[in-house]
Amino acid sequence: MHELAIVDALIDQVQGEIERAGATGRITRLDLAIGRLSGVCVDSVRFAFEMLSPGTILQHAQLAIREPPAMGRCLTCGVEAEIDDLGALCPRCASADVSIEGGRELVLESIELEDPTPCGDYR
Amino acid sequence: MKIVAATKILKANDQLAEENRARLNAAGVFAVNVVGSPGCGKTTLLEALFGHWRGRLRPAVIEGDIAGSVDAERIDALGVPVVQINTEGACHLDATMIAAAAESFDYAALDLLVIENVGNLVCPAGFDLGEHLRLVVLSVTEGDDKLIKYPAIFQRSHALVITKVDLLPHTNFKLDQAAAGMRRLAPEAAIFQVCALHGEGVAGLADWLVLQARAVPRSPSQSPRSQQS
Repeated sequence: MHELAIVDALIDQVQGEIERAGATGRITRLDLAIGRLSGVCVDSVRFAFEMLSPGTILQHAQLAIREPPAMGRCLTCGVEAEIDDLGALCPRCASADVSIEGGRELVLESIELEDPTPCGDYR
Repeated sequence: MKIVAATKILKANDQLAEENRARLNAAGVFAVNVVGSPGCGKTTLLEALFGHWRGRLRPAVIEGDIAGSVDAERIDALGVPVVQINTEGACHLDATMIAAAAESFDYAALDLLVIENVGNLVCPAGFDLGEHLRLVVLSVTEGDDKLIKYPAIFQRSHALVITKVDLLPHTNFKLDQAAAGMRRLAPEAAIFQVCALHGEGVAGLADWLVLQARAVPRSPSQSPRSQQS
């Protein structure tokens, strides 16, 4: 259930980014990257988002989650390939010396907002 | 409009963890985050280690549990300074909790801060507390397949302590399987086998941790020991 804590932190983080950018307007979309090796369950994040977003700046936001694959680079033969898990062997030479190059992402990529309603339109 | 953030979620926790670590470094205190399942023997292991550290290291403990203070009472009974954190439902400790709990200690009077995390092989893997070393405890009664089922927590640990080895004859736990699994996930990690209840293997682990603690980077201007010299 640490997805609940993650979504809680995410809402604070979006608030911070919005303030820093001086942006106004309704948030319509949030793009996240949650890698296959991040240990974070995407379904649980969606569920926690449904529970926690009402009444916050994210209540109208659509949640878009990208799931980068687990990528490994073999330090013995140099091959780069998608791997199954954290302890995977090199698919070419079976070496255990595999460096994890992708799949651990847990990133807030971008925030989309509606353009603020122009007030004082005197056409 | 679109704001490109590209920031890590849990960045706030990571930043606070770095602040915790900087504070520990400045005071010359080495911090160990002890993780493992409920009942794997984390508290019993600590009780056994304190006996070996008497006169060599000045430890203190932060106990993390969902509720209750039974573990803190056990540590307190040994005369070791201890603070209990009750997470009230949360399945892991985070850096904010550690920053608050650490207020209770005088770092100048300590060499080692042991943080016993909430018993859980999943969530504590994702939260840096500001520790220098993460030690994962696995008891033989849990089975050697835990490394396959919960790889993240093992991969992010610097040492594996296999506990309750006196029960090996009564289980199907394979020490070589567990060791091979750990070498795949964390090739650099040290592996220990102990029976904390009867003391087997505890001295070796205690000595190793003393060596690790002495290697903590100290800020010369603020270390109590360098002020004395």
